Amino acid sequence: MKYDNIKEYIYEELLSKVEKPGRYIGTEWNSVHKNPEEVDIRFAFCFPDVYEVGMSHLGMKILYHLLNNQKDIFCERVFAPWPDMEEEMRKSGIKLFGLESRDFIDSFDFVGFTLQYEMSYTNIVNMLDLAGIPLRSGERNEGHPFIVAGGPCAFNPEPLYDIIDFFMLGEGEEQLLEVMEHYRRWKSSRGTRDEFLKTAASVRGVYVPKYYSVEYNKDLTIKEIKAICEDIPAKIRKRVIKNLKGSYFPDKIVVPFIDIVHDRIMLEIFRGCTRGCRFCQAGMIYRPVREREIEELVEIADKLIESSGYEEISLSSLSTGDFSNLNELVKRLVSKYQSSRIGLSFPSLRIDSFSLKLIREVQKVRKSGLTFAPEAGTQRMRNVINKGVDEEDLINSVGAAFDTGYSKVKLYFMIGLPTETMEDIQGIAGLAFKVVDRYYQVPKEKRGKGLNVTVSASSFVPKPFTPFQWEPQDSIDTLMDKQRYLQKAIKKKQITFNWHDPYVSYMEAVFARGDRKLCDVLIKAWELGCKFDGWDQYFNFNAWMQAFKETGVDLDFYAARRRELDEILPWDHIDVGVTKKYLRSEYKKSLKGELTRDCRAACTGCGINLLQEGGVCK
Amino acid sequence: MIGIRLKFTKGSEVKYISHLDLMRVFQRALRRASIPISYSSGFNPHQEISFAAPLSLGVTSNAEYVDLKLTEPMDVREIRRRLNNSLPEGIRILAGIEMGGNHKSAMSVVSHSRYSIEIYIENLSYCELKSKIEAFTAQKDIRIMKKQPKKGFELKETDIKPLIVSMKLAGSKEGKHTIDCLLLSGSRGNLKPELLMEAFKEFTGYDIQKIKINREQVYAEKNGKLVDLLEYEGFQA
Ligand code: SF4
Repeated sequence: MKYDNIKEYIYEELLSKVEKPGRYIGTEWNSVHKNPEEVDIRFAFCFPDVYEVGMSHLGMKILYHLLNNQKDIFCERVFAPWPDMEEEMRKSGIKLFGLESRDFIDSFDFVGFTLQYEMSYTNIVNMLDLAGIPLRSGERNEGHPFIVAGGPCAFNPEPLYDIIDFFMLGEGEEQLLEVMEHYRRWKSSRGTRDEFLKTAASVRGVYVPKYYSVEYNKDLTIKEIKAICEDIPAKIRKRVIKNLKGSYFPDKIVVPFIDIVHDRIMLEIFRGCTRGCRFCQAGMIYRPVREREIEELVEIADKLIESSGYEEISLSSLSTGDFSNLNELVKRLVSKYQSSRIGLSFPSLRIDSFSLKLIREVQKVRKSGLTFAPEAGTQRMRNVINKGVDEEDLINSVGAAFDTGYSKVKLYFMIGLPTETMEDIQGIAGLAFKVVDRYYQVPKEKRGKGLNVTVSASSFVPKPFTPFQWEPQDSIDTLMDKQRYLQKAIKKKQITFNWHDPYVSYMEAVFARGDRKLCDVLIKAWELGCKFDGWDQYFNFNAWMQAFKETGVDLDFYAARRRELDEILPWDHIDVGVTKKYLRSEYKKSLKGELTRDCRAACTGCGINLLQEGGVCK
Repeated sequence: MIGIRLKFTKGSEVKYISHLDLMRVFQRALRRASIPISYSSGFNPHQEISFAAPLSLGVTSNAEYVDLKLTEPMDVREIRRRLNNSLPEGIRILAGIEMGGNHKSAMSVVSHSRYSIEIYIENLSYCELKSKIEAFTAQKDIRIMKKQPKKGFELKETDIKPLIVSMKLAGSKEGKHTIDCLLLSGSRGNLKPELLMEAFKEFTGYDIQKIKINREQVYAEKNGKLVDLLEYEGFQA
């Protein structure tokens, strides 16, 4: 009525009604705005969670600018509208739009989702629906965008097989541009949808689910997964950037208006991890380890600081202390930026006396607490998961922290690990007590005031491409028993106990190792109102149960079943480089409590060096 | 220590960002622009920046003010040029002054704000609305329930009449009416224009479809006169 166009309506009317309009503004510093008339390809980069979470994600920042560096591509950001915004949009018939242009994304060429955690899947369905795009691949036609997905969860793409047109496995920087090149050619040839998907499937790392058939056994396990035509690769190999040196990293990043979860420069110092913790999926799927050179890192940091105005750089990686010359890097950065008051932080640094010294010297805002991750309570259990810390290390490191005045520490554990007994649970309490005792060994006048030990126990979720991929998850009842036991055992006024909702972990376990049958369940759950499942206030377990019941799918088949070692797993057609043979041997070793050393010293034969492009392990 | 006061706009592009967000925007823009901003001493040093009078979410403005402390002199025109290259769309530095050593903070001298309020009411004539506004302001008192942020948002009845200096209908066109008002703003009394419009809505029972508010001016009182905050201290650059 009083608005010239829909964009103005969205901005003036809708945004004035929602709680946090800052999420939908789209004109943040360094956001890229292009004239839609002057580009050939429009890409909606979707993060299936709220703005504050999605904007904190490094991968999205990289790919957003990578795509926009292409003159003919306009990539925009899209986040899951918070329910208040969704309600307003649905009320007034506003479809999901790109933040930058406020154009509806159903007219874009690509709608891409990044899959960071399983519990965001219903948001994908919801976003497609909000966009007015048919939910299933087969229902889309030439007028619809291609729906693509990547990210860590794409390594088991099957639960989304009928929703996503194609997946990109592994690192996106190179393959994304290759796919775009195929698309340019396809677009000018005015081919069919199928023709494009066929050529996309020829790009290494691209998985088009509809070109693969899955046959099942009577017991519902998989009999065979195969490509349905000859020109489609039988196995999809993940992509790896061979060498980070000179590989793309943006020289600017979007600086949000509103406060987000990680509001700082994230400087990626290396990819991959060699420690080989057996529960950790990231440690397996992101291999091999590749570092960026210090010279280049300093150069990138320089550009980012200048273009963003950020006051903090965090060194990002899976295990920052493993960077070969961390001392040198830190020295260089500190000498450059101390005078301009730019702080450094080390989110995934193992705390020991060396790193503690580093933190104390460098971290600008001294965090009042420190985090330790022993992961398990007994040495036996830590050997099973190949977490190479012993009690003495831990007490020494915590002690060093207490000695220097820290009084708040957080200890991360998992419960429900393979072979775990109540003794291991008791061990968590025991370890926490030893930490408390260590604090009181510091002379009163020297120690920080107000000891607080937070023990955080998450429920173990077995993940694909880890040595525990064959293992059942503990039932909800068992997990709750263990939680209760621990809660009782740990009662002490200096200790705070946190745990995760086992219902969410259960659902995570189902989807993490799910197969194609879960796709219908997912859509059903969405129909029953499930969304934002990662958020306590929205997770609706009963609706999920209902969805499984209505679709006749058994959750325990996925979460609570021990697989045979020779069973064909739903992700067996995907090759992450680390071989099944290696995972099997790691699994067997774990049951015997045998350790596998960090492979930086000497190769332990995981197989990643044989993945054609990534043969970089020395 | 060099004190700088800048006057800037908060345009439609940034009207949805809060006071706290605006603070961050300036902190980062100052860094990008390499302005020699001074830092407070203490455990957690922060940039010495302060704003005059906060604006509600959704309200635009032609007259926002920020005070900066610099560690070394820099020409105000240079600061303005650099910042305008480093601030997001919607925020434009209009003018600035350098201030003497012991100036008062912008926040402490603000006394009044002038707003232009656009409202949409269909089928309502200029004259009718004009007389309604006159009747509204002629009331003995105008009582509303006001949230008290410092007391857990407890509601308290207050009379806003003394906070309204003037309220006039400036024009009407095709259902769009523009109201001009001068309200007390600052530590001696503060009335948000949204609150005024709520009271007006209640008084008239009008179905106001849309309200658009712009702050036109912010004043300080100097020798009994209302002056622009930039004129309060020193000379305009
Ligand atoms: S190939 Fe060898 S060195 Fe390389 S990641 Fe695997 S185990 Fe480690």
